[in-house]
Amino acid sequence: MTFLPFLISGLGIGAIYALSGVGLVVLFRATGVLNFAFGAIGAIGAHVAWQILDWKYPLVLAIFAAVAVSTLISFSYGRFLAPLLSHRDTVVRAVGTLSLALVLIAVMGVIWGELPRKLQFPTDQMYQTIFGVRLTYTRILALLLALSMVCAITLLLSRTRLGLDMRALANDRDLSAILGVRIRKTETAAWVITGVFAGLAGLLLGDLVRLQGTFLTFLVIPAIAAAILGQLRSLWVTAIGGLCIGIAEALLTPLQDISPYRAAAPFVIALIAVTILGSTAQASLKDR
Amino acid sequence: MKYPFAGLAAGLTLFLMTAAGANAAASCGTNAAEAATGEPIVIGAITGKTGPDDFSNSTRAAKAYFDCLNAKGGIHGRPVEYLVEDDQWNPEIAAQLAAKLVNDEKAVLMVGNSSFVECGANAEFYKKSGIIAIAGVGVPRECFFAESYATTNSGPRISMLGAMGYALEQLQAKSVVCIGPNIPNVGTWSCDGVMQLAKEKGLTAETILMDPGTADSTSTILQAAASKPDAIILGLPKGVTVPLLTAAEEQGLNQTIKFLSAASAYDLSVPETIGAGWDGNFIVNMEFNDLEATTPDNQNWLAVMNEYGQSSDPRDTFAQAGYLAARIAEAALMSLDPKEITRETASAAVRQMKGFNSDIFCAPWYFGEGQPRHNANTTTRMAVSEAGKWKVISDCTPSPDPELADIRAFEKTAGIAP
Repeated sequence: MTFLPFLISGLGIGAIYALSGVGLVVLFRATGVLNFAFGAIGAIGAHVAWQILDWKYPLVLAIFAAVAVSTLISFSYGRFLAPLLSHRDTVVRAVGTLSLALVLIAVMGVIWGELPRKLQFPTDQMYQTIFGVRLTYTRILALLLALSMVCAITLLLSRTRLGLDMRALANDRDLSAILGVRIRKTETAAWVITGVFAGLAGLLLGDLVRLQGTFLTFLVIPAIAAAILGQLRSLWVTAIGGLCIGIAEALLTPLQDISPYRAAAPFVIALIAVTILGSTAQASLKDR
Repeated sequence: MKYPFAGLAAGLTLFLMTAAGANAAASCGTNAAEAATGEPIVIGAITGKTGPDDFSNSTRAAKAYFDCLNAKGGIHGRPVEYLVEDDQWNPEIAAQLAAKLVNDEKAVLMVGNSSFVECGANAEFYKKSGIIAIAGVGVPRECFFAESYATTNSGPRISMLGAMGYALEQLQAKSVVCIGPNIPNVGTWSCDGVMQLAKEKGLTAETILMDPGTADSTSTILQAAASKPDAIILGLPKGVTVPLLTAAEEQGLNQTIKFLSAASAYDLSVPETIGAGWDGNFIVNMEFNDLEATTPDNQNWLAVMNEYGQSSDPRDTFAQAGYLAARIAEAALMSLDPKEITRETASAAVRQMKGFNSDIFCAPWYFGEGQPRHNANTTTRMAVSEAGKWKVISDCTPSPDPELADIRAFEKTAGIAP
């Protein structure tokens, strides 16, 4: 019975890991880029939101600006820098995004520094009590958002021309090009979509976890773990994987011996996932 | 900071205030009219500037003080050449830098050191080299259990137990939970103190060690609140404390449990950041006097920072610690014949330091000659978060840390404590 409260406390963050993981998978499927800068792109958006709220502008504007800034950064990198690496190895393309992450960390350091800050939404004050734990509406919102975004992306991929192009690119890039899929346009669209995901995830993490650039940047790791559980392909498995990672980390809390090290849970899960699913992931990389 | 340029604006304002003579002039050394021109006295320092956190505020303040001292006559006409090195939070680099400063640069003292890794790496080397470190801020246990290393701050454990003492005496807490980082000579050491004291007093206590890098503060708080304690005592960096308090407020625990913290959360930005929900409910320990205290030496520290420091140098407890270390070094060196200042004479002078007074300390600072370890700053105050500011709510109170038995016994025999 003592585990139930922790199940609830893990839900919110798990939902954001799910959201982030799906954002990563959408981009990877369409472009073959594993975006290490996902966390940093979201973090800078969250800082922008904090800044706008600090200037006493309305919340709606702050949220809109945050997502817009994250999307713009993602778009700019995807449209202008990523294509320069498009014919290189998957590893090189992933490392390219790492450089973006480092630049963004530096920018946040210069502008905002590392002073602890709080990003708060009105939904933090509203809650439902379940198993003696307050589940705030921010966390419920995170869950709903993750669910609806996965549905939206699934629909996009299965019902639209853009989705068809994305799926074609994922299967065979060169063949798609010969068949007339406009690669650059499709890839840019994927960067925009992942930017929106990063912006939303950054806002939620800034509220639920802490508003600190470097810290949020490295929260991409649980998201990558979730994406690996989904073999960088399945949106639903990734989403469920993300949720489970968040819950697993929380559920380890009451176990005295493991509790001090529970923050390692996402890494351990990612390692196990790589070991077990490594061969299939390898196959999916070779497609490109 | 309200917005990115606040620091700049504040700096400009301070500069203008100084220029207009609104502040008292900085007082350093003999306050001679002439700058020191003699042969420099080399003093070294190692600080953790780049890495997980910036600890260099201590050496920045010490540098400001030495600059002031040099401008006002130095040590009987000899200026201090203050060499500060950044160990990058890497023990190996810390050891290399110590060798450089002590062996190559021939430093006579180490002053204002503030590093998370340096004590473990260098304490033994300093002892062998016959050099004394008057450190600013020490954090892990090694800093307080070395023969040649003395800090001006109290350290996390004493500060934590200062907070616990307040919880027991003033809040009548019967059960406490200690939350510390899962770093053996920091978190475990501090929380062990809480457990020991609780055992002595027949109270219930529980320790929770956490990874400061966890994203899930809510679970940690739920775990701490599970036993329904009267008080929760935190010993974490401010960047980890704030999210924990946010999670606690989300669960409504700010209304039912008293939260206290070691001095690591005593930063001027914290009360405003955590907000009105914590007014009267979050109490921290202070290793030094109120940062805004109007007492003479605290005002002199601020004046030195304004006249000789950078406007961007933080005016925080680390800076107070560095300023004090520099002043203690100055006092020791001033007692010597300026022609006879060597590592041996300087060390001997520091060893004999006793009754160094500053209103930034609660009690006079001393080195403790012949002692295997040093920890002079064991008397602390408490402050509570209120309306976006800290309000000092206690007088200087000795920390009830059971581990201080040897220090207290020495203070009695040496006639330092009554």
